Formats: sequence, C-alpha cells, structure tokens
Amino acid sequence: MKYIRALLSLLVAGGLTYIFSRPLGPAPALGPFFSPFTGFWQNAESPDKQPPADIKLQGLKGEVTVKYDDNGVPHIFADNDEDLYFAQGFIIARDRLWQMDFYSRVAAGRLSEVMGPLALDFDRYNRRLQLPEGAERLAESFTHEPTSKLIVESYSAGVNAYIQQVSYKDLAIEYKILGYTPEAWSPLKTALVEMVMRKDMNARSDDYRMANALAKFGKETMNDLFPDYPVEESPIVPSGTKWDFTPLAVPKVPELMKASIAANLDLEAENPGIGSNNWAVHGSRTASGLPLLANDPHLGLSLPSIWYQMQLVSPTVNVYGVCVPGWPGIGIGFNKDIAWGMTNVGSDVFDLFQIQFKDNTFKEYKYGNDWRPVTSRVSEFKVKGSPEIIRDTVLYTHHGPILYSQGQKPFFSDLPVGHALTWVGPVAAGNSVKALYLINHGKNYDDYRKILPYLAAPGFNVVFASNQNDVAITSAGHFPLKWKEQGKYSLDGANPEHEWKAWIPVEQTPYVKNPARGFVSSANQFPADPSYPYYLGWKFAPAERGIRINERLGNMTKATPDSLRLLQNDNFNVEARRILPELLKYLEKDPSAKALPAYGVLAKWNLRNDPNEIAPTIFERFVKELRLAIWEDEFPTQDEKAPMSQPTRDRTWAMLQKQPNAKWFDNVKTTDKVETAADIITTTFKATIDSLTVKYGPYNPQTWVWGTAKGTDIKHLVPLFKSFSRMDIINGGGANIVNATTEAGHGPSWRMVVQLDKTWPKAYGLYPGGQSGNPGSPHYDNMVEKWAKGELNELVFLKSKDEQHPRIKSTVKLQR
Amino acid sequence: MLYILILVISGIAQFLGPWWLMPIVCFGLCFWKAKNAKEAYGIAFAAVSTLWLGYSLFQSVSSGGAFPLKVAEIFKLPNAASLFAAVTLVGGLVAGFAGLAGHYCRLALKP
Repeated sequence: MKYIRALLSLLVAGGLTYIFSRPLGPAPALGPFFSPFTGFWQNAESPDKQPPADIKLQGLKGEVTVKYDDNGVPHIFADNDEDLYFAQGFIIARDRLWQMDFYSRVAAGRLSEVMGPLALDFDRYNRRLQLPEGAERLAESFTHEPTSKLIVESYSAGVNAYIQQVSYKDLAIEYKILGYTPEAWSPLKTALVEMVMRKDMNARSDDYRMANALAKFGKETMNDLFPDYPVEESPIVPSGTKWDFTPLAVPKVPELMKASIAANLDLEAENPGIGSNNWAVHGSRTASGLPLLANDPHLGLSLPSIWYQMQLVSPTVNVYGVCVPGWPGIGIGFNKDIAWGMTNVGSDVFDLFQIQFKDNTFKEYKYGNDWRPVTSRVSEFKVKGSPEIIRDTVLYTHHGPILYSQGQKPFFSDLPVGHALTWVGPVAAGNSVKALYLINHGKNYDDYRKILPYLAAPGFNVVFASNQNDVAITSAGHFPLKWKEQGKYSLDGANPEHEWKAWIPVEQTPYVKNPARGFVSSANQFPADPSYPYYLGWKFAPAERGIRINERLGNMTKATPDSLRLLQNDNFNVEARRILPELLKYLEKDPSAKALPAYGVLAKWNLRNDPNEIAPTIFERFVKELRLAIWEDEFPTQDEKAPMSQPTRDRTWAMLQKQPNAKWFDNVKTTDKVETAADIITTTFKATIDSLTVKYGPYNPQTWVWGTAKGTDIKHLVPLFKSFSRMDIINGGGANIVNATTEAGHGPSWRMVVQLDKTWPKAYGLYPGGQSGNPGSPHYDNMVEKWAKGELNELVFLKSKDEQHPRIKSTVKLQR
Repeated sequence: MLYILILVISGIAQFLGPWWLMPIVCFGLCFWKAKNAKEAYGIAFAAVSTLWLGYSLFQSVSSGGAFPLKVAEIFKLPNAASLFAAVTLVGGLVAGFAGLAGHYCRLALKP
C-alpha cells in the first residue's frame, strides 16, 4: 500500500511537472511561462535597466565597444570589419531576434510550424511565389563575393553567439507565448529577409483584372481609360532632362492575346499604401549652402518596428542610420560625407502568363510551335499541432510556377487553366549586402553610382547628397527590358515574344544629377516622362505627393532641416485642390445637397488634411465612393468571374473636368434613366453623408474630425496580440498626402532629415516604435507620440569611441 | 522551518536554473523534514505560492505594472489579478504534489 501511494504521488508530481513544461495546444508551457524566475514577468523591463558592462563572446577577434544613447540606439565601435558585423548581429539579436526570425519564417513559408494551421495558406502562397528559391539565389550571390561573404558570415556568427547564450528567461515574449525557440541564423536567412521586402514592394499585379477589362471593352477604350502616362504628373526626373546614353533597341510589340480565359486568381491588387517620399535640396537653396536630404519610407507600420537605428564604426567606416533586422549594414542613413535614402520604384516587374495545356493530364504546355513538359515540385509543411506533414504540389513551366486560386484542390477537377508567374523576386540576384557596404563607405557621387549593379530588387529611387554639394536621384534596380505595355495585361505563355528576354542596362535607369531646379525628389510617381526610351509600367503611385513636394521645394530658399521636417508633415490635399471646386459647382445647384452641413464644411475647407479638420473625413470618403459610383457598373472590382481594374483617379478627374458628358457617368444598371455627371455627384454626396452618419453618428464636429475618424493603427506582427499594438493614433495626413499616414496602418516608417556639412553632419530622425522589440520595455514604442506630432529626435552621431556625449547612457564591452 | 527552507533553497535553485528544480527541491525537503502528508502538501504549496506571488508582484511593481495587464489581455483573462491567481495555482500545485511525493517516498523507504 505505502509503495503504491509513494509511486502514485510521484507519478502525479512528475506528471504535473512534465505537462507544465510543454506547450499545451496553443497555450504556452505553463510552468516556465508563469514562473516569475523565468516566465513573462522577466520580460517586463524597468525604465532604469542597465545592460551588463562586459559580455564574453567566442568568435570575436578583438574588443568591441557598444555605447547606448538615451533612446536605446547602439553605437558600435570595432577594430575591424569582421568584429563590426559580428557585433551588429549580436546587438540587434538582443533587441529584435524574434522579429528577424519571424521575417525569415514568412519568406521560407514556415510560419505554420510555429503558429499553427491559421498560417498555412499564407505559407503556401509565399512558397508559390518562390520566395525560398529566390533566397537561395541571393545567399549564393552574397557568399560568392568576398566583401559580402565576410559581412553575412560575421553577422550570422554574431546572431548565433546571442542565440547560444540566451536562456529561456531572456527569450522574447513571443517565443514564450508561442512556445518555440530560435533557430540558428545563416546567410540564407538574411536573404529570406530581403525576399520579404521584395514581396512587399513588387509582388502585386493588376494584369489579370486589366485583361478582363480588355476582353470586355477592347483596346481602343482601354487606351482611352487606362493611358500609359497620367494627365497630371510631376515625374522624378524633371521633364526636359536629356538622356545622355544610347538606348538599346526596344523589342517590337507582338500580337496580343485575343481573349482572356477565366481563372480565379486571388492576388493582392496594387497597394497605394506602399509609397515613400525622399528628396535632396542643393546648397543653392539651403541656409547652410550645403545640401539637405530627407527620406520617409512608407511601409506597413508594425511593432516591433521594421527599422532599427544603429551607428557602425570600424577603421573603414563610420555610418549612422536604420537597418532592417536580419539584414546587415545600414539601409538608409548618412556618414561624414554623404547621405542617402530610398523609396520604392514600383515598376511593373510581376507578370502573369496564360498557359495552354495540351490535355487534361497537364503534362505538356504550348510554347511556340512545340509542346513543352510541365514539371512539378512538392512542398512540405510541418504544421504546429498537426502530426502529419502537409504536401502541396505546384506545377512549373519555364516561365515559373503556375498559380491557382486559393482553395485549390491537389487534383484538378474543373477547368485546367492557370497562369504562370514571372516576377523579379526569384529571378534577379544582385547583391544588396555589397550595395549597402558600398554606400555606407561612400564619399562622393561616383561612389554612389557604384552601387547600381548590385541593387537588383526591389527597385529603389535612391536619393543622394554629398558635402561636395552634389544631389542626385536614380531609379535603381534590375528592370526587364520590355516592349511597350508588356505586362499591362496577362501575357501569352505560348508566345515566345511575350517573355522577359533582357534587362535595361543599370546605368540607363532613370537618373538625374544636380538638375537646374536645385533639388531632386521622389514619391513613387513616374520615374520619367514619356521621353524616357524604356517602358517601366503604365501606372505608378498617384502624382499628388510628388506634385506637392516639388511645388514646395521649388519655392524654398534658405532651407533648413526644419523646413524639410515641416514638408514631411505637410497635410495639403492636392487632389482636393484639383477636383473639389468642380464638385462643389455641381452640389451648389442641388438645394438638398447644399443644405447639408457637410456642404458648408467642404466649401470653407482650407484643403488641409489636418487632424482637427472635418472636411477631409467627408472629402476622402466622397471621392472614394464617387469613383466607385462612376465605374463599378462597367468595371466591377468584386465580380467573381471577371474582376476588373478601374481607371485611375487621375483619369477619372480628367474626365470630370474635360468630358462631363462621357457615357461612363451613366449607371448602366438603371435602364429607365441616363444619369449625368451631376446626378452621380449629388446622389453619391448624399450617400456619403449617410454612410458617414452610420459610422460616426449624425453630423457632429467632435466625432467627424479627421484625426479620430482616420486614426492610424500600428499592429504587432502577430495581429492576435492586440495588447502589444498601438491603435487609433491621432494624426493628420492621408494616403495621397505627403504626410502619408493611413487608416490601414501604412505610413512613414522612418523619418530622417540630414544636414550635410564639411566637418560633421547634423541629422534628425525617428520611427513610430522603439529600439526594443520587447513589449515589456520602455523602449518598445517610446517614439510613437513624437512621431504622431511630427517631431524628430536629433540623432547622436559620434565622431569616435572617446567622444564624451551627454546622451550616452551606458557602455558595454564585448570581449573574447 | 520547512516553509523557510523551501522558500530560500527553491528560490536560489530557480534563480540559477530551470523552473523544474523547484519541484525537486520540494520533494527533497519534504522527504527530509515533513512530519505528515498534510504538512508536506500544505507547506510546500504555501511556500512556493508565496515565493512565486511575491516575486512576480515585485517584478511587476518595479517595472511599472502595465505589462502583466497586456499579457492577461492576450490570454483573454479579465485582469491582472487572474494572472497572479494563475501563478499562485501553477506554482503551488506542482510544489504541493512534489512535497507530498517526497513525504510518501520517505514513508515507503524508511518506516
């Protein structure tokens, strides 16, 4: 009896300990998680927590000094480059390891391993986009070149030095909640992080929706409604700039496909939220006589933030700026002599090819006059909580993988029709690590241009300024050499003339140096006007931000860093300036519309999307609904069989201004009446007020005010972790405002202003988050308030290890 | 006495090592010191739950206190108090059964 009792009690005690040591379904391991010695309590950091003074690390060659400033920014001083990038990896892993790991899992299509079946479709999609294959190519190009090889390998060793010494107690809270531990870092994982960026910037397409519209309306209407260059535009390279190169011959436009075959492709449409601003002002327009440079890349805002600030110093370099966790070097920043910044180019580098299969076995597809074999690859997914491995078979043509609709069954039962994908992501290699190394070390304009062969994808508008008083901008990247409108619509996979054959020479991508107007700028608009000899795409980001930036820079003399900061926060609504007077003219004639208080608000508006204005709440909604009211009847965006693109806002407003009697105003769904522009505008205005009333209650300046009506959300990378997010931040701006903050959570993810100087530059910047990735740290989101107000921090750019700076709060020595 | 011993020794062990040293310490100390089953279970439970509750309260207060609320929200717990209750229960249960096992094992080995 007593033995049984002893055994039973042992079993219960041991069993409990065992069960509490393991994750329970979606719940974390209760024992270590709740224990105050190791659990989440340990992630709560007190505001005056100090890092350790010394850290012993194997793999270092010498001693590295890391000085942390009051904002948690590390300033790293190493005796050689290996140690520098080793320390960069180690230091960033201390603050952001989980985030880096997360990005690499996204691109590897391995999120469901740690998050469960919820992430499986996302994983499948990312694998079908060939993000893992692309990363392998990139990693190969990193390790093929001696400089980038040294960087990615040292960086990986630094990250791994942290992983080896971190105990459960110090692991990120996300690891503890989700119940997994970090994997070793590698150059491949750095490449995976870059693939996430390529996907975010380039993996979007309107081709299929455009093809549906083409099939219904024909080429003439498409040319009219979807022109290849906007009516109002202010291109990055000023119109009239002479191209000082001899262009390659552009391929002739081949025969287009006659009809589009139905296929339900659920791709992400063009995302207007992915945009950015940058500009550099020549010394002729600044107070100091030397250039100023500003950049605010707009990305999906997240916590932890996409950016991390660092200063990297070795005998070869002293550079400050932001980097993406997992990606060594400094991405956007400055050194003693130069400053640079980036915005997305957004050219068309993602094309779909219709594939004609020989028969229902899908073993061969047509190409030219031949039938080519289809190959297939099986992808395996381990899913958390599921004992079996899930397999996904993907068919490949030489164009690339064949994408099917979501919810595709492993064996095709209905129409055997798919589209193959060719996009820049897995195709272009380049060497971003080498590119960053070169620009981090750059001293002048020639050094800046040296990065071009290495910057492949995503394509960036790289703005540049130097203390030799040069300013320049280049739409850099590897862009396919296309015939005009190649890829505007789905392409014919059977026609060899339809595929990508060559690249635009990197030195012939659009660029301009020291233009007469005294500044360069970009806001994702057309890189160049139609005089540029190559076709880059038919649609870029709407022109409004670019127009406003160029107007204001054109009026600036004696510019200071603060003039540039104010421009970053400019809330002027260029679209309203263009179209609101026209709209008011129509509304004025309708007594019931004019009687609405909203009419008065719009009529008296100062055209600024300031947070305390009410008019932007009405205007933004009104123009959105108006565009739908005009186009949705003929060009349905949500149609299940044939969803279509709609003409741009630029084309729509041009029609309203110049062709008020166009047939497109008529709602074809009402057969008893022919609507005019006036009818559509007044009914939509009233409908807009109704929908705003539903959303915010009857008209009330308190609840309709733009700052609260818009709100900006900054969500944690795992949206389920709501309490780690910052929701409804009040600020001004809007999607096509220079201050491009959106409701959907896009916006300036880093704002930087640099004043170049002969001796030592001065710089300002911040991002909506904090240096620490730990939601329990005071440095997790400490910059959000200042960001919302449009303020900037002065950045601490140390001259040397020995400089005494009042804002340096602690020093850590990394030693062998 | 047993209470203080568990508090101090398991505290040191957990400070230096993984959380499961806690039940091992409770097992050993109750094997050695506990007079009866009730005492083994009760004192081990009480000692560890005081320790866990006390230390988590301390951690929470010294960092400003907002963080446990955020964690509670993720687990859909109504407030931080429920989080503290969970801590007390998880630590106490494991300690109690480990203590009980220690005592019973001693009885089984040395009558």
